[in-house]
Amino acid sequence: MPKSLLQRVSKLYANTSGKNKYAFSLPIEDKIKVGRTAFDIKLKEDDKLGTYILWKNRKYPVEVISQKNNKFEILFNGVSYTYTIETPISMKRLKFLSRKKGASDIETISAPMPGKIVDILVQENAEVRKGEAVLILEAMKMQNEIQSLVDGKIVSIRVRPNDNVMKDELLIEIKKS
Amino acid sequence: MKRILIANRGEIAVRIIKTAKLMNIETVVIKTAAEPNAMYLAMADVVFDDTDDLSDIPAFLDIEKLIEIALKTEADSVHPGYGFLAENAYFAQKCVDNKLTFIGPSPDAIYKMGNKTIARKLALKNDIPMAMGSKGNVTSEEQALMVANQIGYPIIIKAASGGGGRGMRIAWHDEELPKMFNLASNEAAKAFNDPNVFIEKYIANPKHIEFQILADQHGNVIHLGERECSIQRKHQKLLEEAPSSALSEELRKEMGEVAVRIASAVGYYSAGTVEFLLDSAGKFYFMEMNTRIQVEHPVTEEITGIDLIEQQIRVASGEKLQLKQEDIQLNGWAIECRINAEDVQAGFAPAPGAIDKLIFPTGENIRVDSGIEQGSTIASNFDSMVAKLIVTGTDRQDALINCKKALGKVWIKGIKTTLPFFRMLVREPQFISGQFTTAFVEKEMEKFYFSKEEDEQIAAWLATKLFVDEQIADQDRNVDFEQGKRINPWILNKRLKQF
Repeated sequence: MPKSLLQRVSKLYANTSGKNKYAFSLPIEDKIKVGRTAFDIKLKEDDKLGTYILWKNRKYPVEVISQKNNKFEILFNGVSYTYTIETPISMKRLKFLSRKKGASDIETISAPMPGKIVDILVQENAEVRKGEAVLILEAMKMQNEIQSLVDGKIVSIRVRPNDNVMKDELLIEIKKS
Repeated sequence: MKRILIANRGEIAVRIIKTAKLMNIETVVIKTAAEPNAMYLAMADVVFDDTDDLSDIPAFLDIEKLIEIALKTEADSVHPGYGFLAENAYFAQKCVDNKLTFIGPSPDAIYKMGNKTIARKLALKNDIPMAMGSKGNVTSEEQALMVANQIGYPIIIKAASGGGGRGMRIAWHDEELPKMFNLASNEAAKAFNDPNVFIEKYIANPKHIEFQILADQHGNVIHLGERECSIQRKHQKLLEEAPSSALSEELRKEMGEVAVRIASAVGYYSAGTVEFLLDSAGKFYFMEMNTRIQVEHPVTEEITGIDLIEQQIRVASGEKLQLKQEDIQLNGWAIECRINAEDVQAGFAPAPGAIDKLIFPTGENIRVDSGIEQGSTIASNFDSMVAKLIVTGTDRQDALINCKKALGKVWIKGIKTTLPFFRMLVREPQFISGQFTTAFVEKEMEKFYFSKEEDEQIAAWLATKLFVDEQIADQDRNVDFEQGKRINPWILNKRLKQF
């Protein structure tokens, strides 16, 4: 019988898509350290408010927007935060990976909102400049110009005019020059 | 008037029903398949069931059907609300033809003000200050270039039949003009079935100031002061207030008189709104007139004590205005936050969903106009409005304090909303100062949502805790958490190079 994860590690990290990571010792306590002071934190639930967090004598609405394996999106007081939960070892590997990925020269453009592709203004292998419009996405009857964030060359176009796309769907890949 | 068909839904249907009840007038509403449990249905006297209609076009846009419903349900009048057919002259005419009182202006006034090219000509004839622009529609890239060079950049291209920010593009130089011209024209064709556009000098960084007009069918026209609507994003209003901190008493009088003049010129009656741009030098330019009740009408109601829906109904039944210009007093300050189901962290993308919890604060200074309740679903069929939170105070500072407090007490669960945006906005020094323009949100606000420094850590704690709980609850599941851990580093390296 393999040892469970919780038996193997003494702490976990909540790693943000930005640069922050927050360490929590196991077993996880109902306390959070801010600076040098530890404050009580409680996850509660009642009929009127639903689940909420009690922090410094105030109640804040909280909900889990999505949870997939070790990936979490939490909505706290109306604001969304995403994390991956990592062990000390996976954290190290992640760092290694991100160093490698930093060297990647492919920039992707994905849909900022759900909508319909109206027009594609570039072709594969075309050179584009930063700020140049690459396609037009219609959402809520507004036509939005989607621009390239880098100077480079179009490697692949994943959509066609009249395609309906979802938020975050990959649209175009650009090789940075 | 005994029975009104409300050709609308959501909060404005609720709003109209409330006033109709006070006036002992019955209301008829339409139950659609898209929201068969909507809040407005329970409040009306008669519900017309249209749930078996499965067409893509909502009943609120189907003129023939609306007339048929009105006649079938024996309504004697129609209130169009805002959006949908509220500014459709043909619909207003159809109502008249069928002996239904249209609660709004005449079809002729709707048509003239709805067509921006005609409206411009009318304004020109009546000495209304306007930004320089093309004489009529601009129909080709070449003509656009010519006009743009005559009046000088920057210019704005607008849809002739437009409104609500659609079909509007700004061009700063010749190179981008053809592209912007085509974008505006395409968008106009899609949104309004009319590809015609015209060109105006673009007033950079103005304030958006609009005047509430009230007029009867006997030639009496007054204004109820202004609303400040400069807090907008992509031409969509987010927050409105009344009055505006940018207007002196003299300027208010001057702009108000111009607003009354243009309304009189078109023979306007009912409630209407004259929109202006106000530049930093205090010069103002007529933009357009909206021939309907507006989303932001409550801020005017709060500072004047006048029920605008009631006035619309009275005017439509032929009554004379009981109010004179000198009766209109602006008392205190009102701010309206449009709480929409949108994801401010993802470019204000619509974020529909079911609302699990919805609690609004109550109090003397707080008014909430909403068409939804706890358990409702914000469907993607219609707009993304959850509620309008209207907060008042003795002056702007007082209203802002009350607004900040109220925003802190709103409790919504199940969907993402624009609440964090407003919580940030009321803390922005520039917003607090009153010295902001229509460019403020997009160009000057650095962060679109309010969060405290420790919030990310709190949410991190929850994510970690939930992860741990799940591990404990599911010990048997052998998660390969450290996936790939045992991979030979050389192989890993090789794989990574393929990126």
